[in-house]
Amino acid sequence: MENQMKRGLLDVCVLAAIKDEDSYGYQIIKDMSPYLEISESTLYPILRRLETAELLTVRSAEHNGRLRKYYHITDSGLERINSFKEEWKEIMKIYEFVTKEGEKNE
Amino acid sequence: MNKESFITELKNNLAGLPEDEIKKSIDYYEEMIDDRVEDGMPEEEAVAALGDIKSITKNILEDIPLKKIVKEKVKSVKPKRGLRAWEIVLLVVGSPIWFPLGLSLAIIAFVFVLVLYLLYWIFILVFYLIDLCIALCGVAGIAAGVVAFIQGGGPAGFFFVGCGLVCAGLSIPFFFLCNIIAKGILNLSKLIGRGIKSMFIRKKKEGGNEQ
Repeated sequence: MENQMKRGLLDVCVLAAIKDEDSYGYQIIKDMSPYLEISESTLYPILRRLETAELLTVRSAEHNGRLRKYYHITDSGLERINSFKEEWKEIMKIYEFVTKEGEKNE
Repeated sequence: MNKESFITELKNNLAGLPEDEIKKSIDYYEEMIDDRVEDGMPEEEAVAALGDIKSITKNILEDIPLKKIVKEKVKSVKPKRGLRAWEIVLLVVGSPIWFPLGLSLAIIAFVFVLVLYLLYWIFILVFYLIDLCIALCGVAGIAAGVVAFIQGGGPAGFFFVGCGLVCAGLSIPFFFLCNIIAKGILNLSKLIGRGIKSMFIRKKKEGGNEQ
């Protein structure tokens, strides 16, 4: 359950990192690092999963004489972020309820 | 380790996977190293920052469905040339022999896997059933004790109630033990799944470097 949740969070974080402009692997890791430490080997399967789910697309572009992969968010990717925000509102409500219960018991 | 030896080692570890999967993975890690170097990190450090190759391999492997690995395996086993005329004739003429044989082999394999799978769940179930029996013994013991009291058998009543309480008590820690065992077995099945995947990969590596 815990892993499942973290997995979902990571997916949305990666989508958020490419939301405003296309980005590449290392940049995504750097952008995320103040909020969430993520390693290259963790990011890789996430990018692939998101690509398969068509939440992002990949294109190769030349950079300094080599190819670099840029990730671009799709409409369904943006939708995924929005539905995450909605879901999170529900979760915050539950959080409030849970913490309130805690106070009563003490 | 420098970039080149990192890439070579990763390639060796992934040998046996579909070509496009290997290329994708290599491209990705190569880009990561290049970007770090461009950011001012020495190459050796950039490679070290990626972490241990074994866990990288494991991550890649876990992400590729077993179906795709098996498909690749089958493709590599298949002969490259087409069938010759006499081979086709032989196949057709021989079909009354090989077809039922192949079919029955396939059925046997299927049943074998099914039985293994069922055994696996039954194994877990058995522990919980034993626990349930112990708990029921407890209830029955207490009930028998009460009956014995009513019929006037004092010491027998105490004996039955005592046995019942012991059983009921035992069933509680045993339940938790069952949970631990079930969890252990589930983890084991995960390991077996990973083992099956790496079996498909190892095979092809025999000629190349062993890790």
